[in-house]
Amino acid sequence: METLLSLTIGLLIAAAVYLMLARNVLRFLFGMLLLSNAVNLLIFTAGRLTFGVPSFVPEGAKLPPEDAANALPQALVLTAIVIGFGLFAFALVLVFRAYTSLGTLESAKMRVAEPEEEKA
Amino acid sequence: MTSADFQTILPEFLLALYALAALLFGVYGGKDKLGPVLVWVTSAVLAVIGVWISLRGGEAQTGFHGMFLNDGFARFAKVMILFSAAAVLLMSEGYMARRNLLRFEYPILVALGVIGMMVMVSAGDLMTLYMGLELQSLSLYVVAALRRDSIKSTEAGLKYFVLGALSSGLLLYGCSLTYGFAGTTLFSGIITAVGEGQAPLGLLFGLVFIASGLAFKVSAAPFHMWTPDVYEGSPTPVTAFFSTAPKVAALGLFARVMHDAFGGVVGDWQQVVSAIAIASMFLGAVAAIGQNNIKRLMAYSSISHMGYALIGLAAGTALGVQSMLIYMAVYVTMNVGTFAFILSMEKDGQPVVEISSLNMYAKREPLRALALLVLMFSLAGVPPMLGFFAKLGVWQAGIDADLYWLVGLSAVASAIGAYYYLRIVFLMYFGKDDDALEAGGSPVLWGFLMVSAAAMVLGVVNLFGIEGAAAAAAATLVN
Amino acid sequence: MRAPRPAAPLTPAVRSGPAPTATPTQRAEETAIATDPKSDRRNGIAGWAPVLLSATLFAWFCTFLPAVAEGEVLLWQLDWVPSLSVSLSFLVDGLSLTFLLLISGIGTLVMLYSDSYLRGDPQYARFALYLTSFMLSMLGLVAADNLIALFVFWELTTITSYLLIGFHNDEADSRRSALQALLVTGTGALAMMAGMILMGVAAGTFEISEIVAQGDVLREHPWYLAIMILILAGAFTKSAQVPFHFWLPNAMAAPTPVSAFLHSATMVKGGVYLLARLHPALSGTEVWLWTLTIAGAATAVFASLQAMRQTDMKQVLAYTTLMALGTLTLFLASGSAYAITAFVVFLVTHSFYKASLFLMAGCVDHGTGTRDLRVLGGLARAMPLTALAAAIAALSMAGLPPFIGFIAKELGYGGSIEAASSPLLVTGAALIANALMFTVAAVVALNPFWRRGGETPSKPHEADWQMLAGPLILAALGLAAGIFPHVLEHYAAAPIAQSLLGDAEKAKELHLWAGVNTPFLLSLATFALGLVLYFARGALRRALESTVGRLPDLDARWDDVIDGLKGFAAWQTRLLQTGKLRRYLVVIFATYAGVMAVTLAMKAAVVVELDFSDLILKQWMVVGLIVTGAAIVTVTRSRLAAIAALGTVGIGVALTFIVYSAPDVAITQLLIETLNVVLVSVALLRMPLLDPAGTHDHRPKDAVLALAVGGVVATLLLCVLAVPMDMRLTQFFEEASYPDAHGRNIVNVILVDFRAIDTFGEITVVVIAALSAYALLRTTGRRDRA
Repeated sequence: METLLSLTIGLLIAAAVYLMLARNVLRFLFGMLLLSNAVNLLIFTAGRLTFGVPSFVPEGAKLPPEDAANALPQALVLTAIVIGFGLFAFALVLVFRAYTSLGTLESAKMRVAEPEEEKA
Repeated sequence: MTSADFQTILPEFLLALYALAALLFGVYGGKDKLGPVLVWVTSAVLAVIGVWISLRGGEAQTGFHGMFLNDGFARFAKVMILFSAAAVLLMSEGYMARRNLLRFEYPILVALGVIGMMVMVSAGDLMTLYMGLELQSLSLYVVAALRRDSIKSTEAGLKYFVLGALSSGLLLYGCSLTYGFAGTTLFSGIITAVGEGQAPLGLLFGLVFIASGLAFKVSAAPFHMWTPDVYEGSPTPVTAFFSTAPKVAALGLFARVMHDAFGGVVGDWQQVVSAIAIASMFLGAVAAIGQNNIKRLMAYSSISHMGYALIGLAAGTALGVQSMLIYMAVYVTMNVGTFAFILSMEKDGQPVVEISSLNMYAKREPLRALALLVLMFSLAGVPPMLGFFAKLGVWQAGIDADLYWLVGLSAVASAIGAYYYLRIVFLMYFGKDDDALEAGGSPVLWGFLMVSAAAMVLGVVNLFGIEGAAAAAAATLVN
Repeated sequence: MRAPRPAAPLTPAVRSGPAPTATPTQRAEETAIATDPKSDRRNGIAGWAPVLLSATLFAWFCTFLPAVAEGEVLLWQLDWVPSLSVSLSFLVDGLSLTFLLLISGIGTLVMLYSDSYLRGDPQYARFALYLTSFMLSMLGLVAADNLIALFVFWELTTITSYLLIGFHNDEADSRRSALQALLVTGTGALAMMAGMILMGVAAGTFEISEIVAQGDVLREHPWYLAIMILILAGAFTKSAQVPFHFWLPNAMAAPTPVSAFLHSATMVKGGVYLLARLHPALSGTEVWLWTLTIAGAATAVFASLQAMRQTDMKQVLAYTTLMALGTLTLFLASGSAYAITAFVVFLVTHSFYKASLFLMAGCVDHGTGTRDLRVLGGLARAMPLTALAAAIAALSMAGLPPFIGFIAKELGYGGSIEAASSPLLVTGAALIANALMFTVAAVVALNPFWRRGGETPSKPHEADWQMLAGPLILAALGLAAGIFPHVLEHYAAAPIAQSLLGDAEKAKELHLWAGVNTPFLLSLATFALGLVLYFARGALRRALESTVGRLPDLDARWDDVIDGLKGFAAWQTRLLQTGKLRRYLVVIFATYAGVMAVTLAMKAAVVVELDFSDLILKQWMVVGLIVTGAAIVTVTRSRLAAIAALGTVGIGVALTFIVYSAPDVAITQLLIETLNVVLVSVALLRMPLLDPAGTHDHRPKDAVLALAVGGVVATLLLCVLAVPMDMRLTQFFEEASYPDAHGRNIVNVILVDFRAIDTFGEITVVVIAALSAYALLRTTGRRDRA
């Protein structure tokens, strides 16, 4: 399964990179979302996958089951998800503001020509 | 969380408390009317914490099972970060207030960014590293885009964000590769997993990704592209901030990861860091030649200076780290002074950034011109200014580590780079007398300019004793 | 590393060419300062304090004379930056002391001279400060015993000299010269710095006194050649040896007292001093011998020919200075007793007469308003004392007895006929240079006073005593030294021989009359040739104009080099710094994909086996969901479809977490994913379509790059998974979770207890994100209202 997931992550990353290279900044945002999903999956996969045994200490025991899932990457992914969300929300606002003040979503047009700069 | 853990992050925690309190106060208080007050108070708080940390001293402590380190190295870097942030904040007050740019969020964002930087230099774990980095980056993204009336500022903020987010992604990818191999995110665990000698291939890639993510943050080539655009587009006080504290933090973190996590395989990263250093020195030196905007020029200058500082890191020795710390301390002091000057460049009440406006400045303002001359010579590394001793230090560390070619190439780069600093001096003393620049600027700016210039000259006596402190700090990192 | 170097006029200078009326207004201004009695304001303390200081220093240095003449070496040492091996140590031996005395002595006279030359200038205090700082740096340079300290003083002289030139400057043309001097000497100094560091490492010490004792070690060292080349680069640029000579004549735009002090007696000799100081450590090899011989001889001959061509007094003197520097270098090429003695005597001789002549030129300029040799004449009557000083100095320069110049020339010939390199070449070069010096001396110092004169811009008048003291005293010293040569022998030649050759006895005796020998015959030949050249000077000048005047000159190439550098900078900026975000991203992605692919291909250590046999339908479905979603986002042009597809990917990822035993993560993921979709939907409603009408988002090249990046990432992950996992840390958490933290959900325990700092950070990040969004939106709102 790890193999399949690795390939999926590769595909997700390819899609993300393609979107990030787009002229439209909105597509860049989509790419960012895909990328953060891909990286989260990647951390998770790098910690090895376990099928169906969550990392709980059962009642009465002091240790989780022998074959329980690796808890550490889960904790890391949680952190990454939250930080990723913060970043994304901020990015959205930034793009929105760029659109309202620059009037375009084309990254190539966001090169402000020299004479115009002081007029704004 | 035990009280010992808590002890180690006490300064960060207090600063965070202050920031939240200031935020509430700002939102429900007078909003932007409070701007100037908040700037002064925040600056004072930063300075006080800086003094406190420098006096705190003591043994190296670790908290949170090694995820957070409070050792001499971290303290040295934190003091630099806090003082330079306090200075830059103070310098920006007049400039921003007069242009109606002073929002109450600004000092708070700077304070939050500083927390991120403090966490960065104290990180003992990949996730702490990532978190600190995001903390500071996010604040920086916002302050870059803070100028209300300029689309250039928005553009700068967006570009910075896009590239910054990308580099964070790469860094995180590097972290996960490293974790996948080492089975731990703790630096102390990684260094045991890596062992001595040759790192496994996957770990090497993890290392490369982490290094390049950090290279972005220190704006080292080839990840420097955001720097000129962002320096130019941001409000000048923000540019000043960008060129000081975050650089110290990023470089500190760089050294921390390389030595604490990958200290066993110096040979593997020495080449990478050297290559980055050379690319930065040359790119910064050559590209600056054609610039007429002093902010863009300072952007290239900082790219170049990061290259020299990285020589100290590339050496991979305690002496190297020591020389890097001294280099950064000198660099930050020079930049504070230079930006104090740039902030005071005005014509008809408008900020001016064209270098050509400095024509014959020496005739109208001999003292300021002399101060800038000292700073430019120091930036160029001309003795007997302090900048020279900083360069000498990293060169000696490089030679000590047998990196002769690196030192040789950096000497060539510094010859090219000197050209543009001297062009400024040259214009001030030999320009055509046509473009009158006003004698603008507040006493605060004047004071910072003069103190910084004086430090470049007087520091020659004994480097203000930071040599010993830097050596002690380096010893806690490399052993 | 930069060495600013002089070049522009303090007072407007008359440049060579049809000069007298070139700058009438500026000229009038200066003349007014000089002659108008109303502006005859004293410079006060700034005027006399520097004189007193330098005189005191001179007197103090004189007290060292007896000890040093006995062969003592005086040392002072002070730690400076110990970790960088920089100490502030000073050494006074014969070589240093000779330079110290020349610098402080000539310095005293120049300060005295400047006080009158610039009388009434409101900025004089600053000028005096710079000039004094320069002198002190120069003294530090010749007394320093630590390589790094020496370098510091070396650059300090360039900074202060730069300030001296920048003091007053109005002339557009001289700006180029200033920059040129700066860059040429600066680059050289930098190379020298590199050489010094290598030298220090090779010798194991940065103390010069210890390095010179290790000449054998250094000469055997594999770095010897590199060290020598780098150090010569510094010395040759500073002392303006061919082909780095071009900046010095250009630098003559500086004010006359500055030229006299910097460009004749002191700063330009810094390079020669360094060669002499390191002579015991580096000399004695073939490569040293020939490099110095060729550079020195070429400089001497070339400069003396050039000197004949010039018509501006200061330009002539500049080229004769070059000639002297070349000759000094030539002497240092070999280590013979004759050569070293000649070096010492010529060094002192040249300083006396050249400073005297420069100051004289200033007097003439001051008194008549021009320095053009084609105009000047008949000044002896109006300026008798200046004429006297000029005559004595010129006779010494011409090498006539009983002046010290004669002895210097004799010794020089003595050295050249037994030169280790090629006696014929060296003697020939010396003969040509000396004969031309003879002629030039007559042209520059006798003609203006004694031949019939033309009209000068202002009526000639004699300078005051302050300005006359320098030229007269220095000229008289040249005569005195010639008459009493043993004084020079005892106090300078012998101690320097001790420094350079290790034996004071090796210094040759100084005599005015040594009998009829080869040097004497060569002297006679010099005079004869010189006289011929003097009478044929018109034809000679024309001949030179058509030969030397057409030689390719680095000076002419200079602008090309600077333009080329600027062009290169602009080109690389256009290439890399386009301001286009897409381009930046492409560069970054391509760099990564390239580097990783190459490394993977080269090291292909892991063979990845694609094994899908263990998969069940549920897993295929989850993956299918993710892939489909990603594909749709990538190709769709519809905003709605994109949002829906993004949601699908998010749900797919959440399902993966559930399937692989991470329920907490899955819940968070679902929550955040929902929030994201809502946010995007709200934002998209207020923004335009993805592709404006008529455009397509079809980018095959980007697709290739994207697939390459994705492929590499997947391969790397597979490599990671092929290695067994280190679970120690996880085990620690599992074992500690319940007993220590009383939590059964290990993930939770990790987050709130063991990794509380992450959580602390997470919260801060979210706070910042919220604050940022608020700040930005607030901005937009205001803008709209405004």
